[in-house]
Amino acid sequence: MAKTRQKTLARAVALGLVASVAVASAALISSRSTPSSYAGQVAPVLPAAPEPALKVPAPVRLRTSIGFAQWASVRHAVSVRASARSEARVVTRLASTTPEGTSNIVLVLGRAMDRAGRLWVRVRLPVLPNGSAGWVPRQALGVYGVVSTHLVIDLEGLTATLLRDERPILRAPIGVGRPEWPTPKGEFYVRNMLTRYKSPFYGPLAFGTSARSSALTDWPGGGFIGIHGTNAPELLPGRVSHGCIRLRNQDILKLGRLMPVGTPVTIR
Amino acid sequence: MSDLTLGELDRDGALREAVEQVSGETRATFLGKAVVGGAALLGALAAPAAGKAAAASDVAILNYALTLEYLQSAFYTETERLGAVGGELRRVPRQLGAVERAHVTALKDALGRAAVKRPAFNFRGVTEDNAKFLKTAVAFEDLGAAAYKAQAARIKSPALLAAAISIHSVEARHAAWMRFLAGVTPAAAAFDEGKPVSEVRAIVASTHFVVARPKRKSRKNPKYTG
Repeated sequence: MAKTRQKTLARAVALGLVASVAVASAALISSRSTPSSYAGQVAPVLPAAPEPALKVPAPVRLRTSIGFAQWASVRHAVSVRASARSEARVVTRLASTTPEGTSNIVLVLGRAMDRAGRLWVRVRLPVLPNGSAGWVPRQALGVYGVVSTHLVIDLEGLTATLLRDERPILRAPIGVGRPEWPTPKGEFYVRNMLTRYKSPFYGPLAFGTSARSSALTDWPGGGFIGIHGTNAPELLPGRVSHGCIRLRNQDILKLGRLMPVGTPVTIR
Repeated sequence: MSDLTLGELDRDGALREAVEQVSGETRATFLGKAVVGGAALLGALAAPAAGKAAAASDVAILNYALTLEYLQSAFYTETERLGAVGGELRRVPRQLGAVERAHVTALKDALGRAAVKRPAFNFRGVTEDNAKFLKTAVAFEDLGAAAYKAQAARIKSPALLAAAISIHSVEARHAAWMRFLAGVTPAAAAFDEGKPVSEVRAIVASTHFVVARPKRKSRKNPKYTG
């Protein structure tokens, strides 16, 4: 009896499946023959999608610059160490601002992780002896910036050449330090830019650099070497300054447009 | 991983202000510093298909999106430039950075003079460390996708909505990729939740990546050796 019931049930299920497949097939055939209807119903007509308001461009690849250099602002006063360890010898201290009231920036030379997993950054320093470098914790630094410019000062040829991506974009005659107050040689960087000040001696614009005079150490402000204009252009080119690099005013104004703060400076 | 916070994001309040604008708690100063405001501001937004100026709330939402895109693009760009993140993550900043920069370009073009200015960022080392980079990338992409989602329903212009959705799905793909790399299920839930403004505000409040721009110019008299 039970077997008979099972067979009857199986037959009913099979018949049901066959019927369902038949109905589905008929509906599919019907829909193919009349695209606008489905099983006797009218298919909804959707409005066209709106055109996006933004024209999204292709992915923008990063410009890889040949002469790329990186600077960082000093976030808070910090001790600079001789190596990337918190117990290493203190080389100097860095303030967060310059004597001119701008953010103190340093040129980034490298990075390393100490045993505790703390990130350290090797930076070029605006201290004597010129060319000094040291290590600071990454947390003491702030914003990173990049430049693709490089200023080369030729003390023999008395010229300044600004490179962008290692190609010269500006060349100008300069005045440099007298023999008793020589302009220091070495690798430096531009720390800040001063404009609209009241001293005609410096021309209309002055860049501060990380270079310092070895001869005028007691100069107000620390004896920093500047790159600036002049009120005596007839002296250029020549060895006429206290160590600073002087340019004609039209040239320093051009440099002001082309050379960002953070630019490396080579004096040779 | 889904409860990651950004860690540090917004020090000078640029993002917070954008959030406040979107949430309706407008600060009078928002947009005022960067743009002129009022009808001129709205007219500066590229007109959608209908040819009409966008609604004020749409401008605010786009600027909110732009601020987040600035954050993401700066993050990947800095990482790519520094080159300190490597291994299997090496191609991430290059690929994602290129896309986020395209988003910035598109949003800035659309907003025109109404676009908020790019803030300065201090990523505090997360662009120089594999583990920190990946963790932050997951958080950024999750936040980006959730922020777009939450605002989508509030965009009035269909054309702007279409554009926002086209960016949103890319952010979601990025989020899935970063989650996969981090060993986190890319899509564990059947439905995603948008992040409401209050939640974004809470994240923003806990962060400090957006900082004041370093002061590089001064009017003080030079004291150089001369």
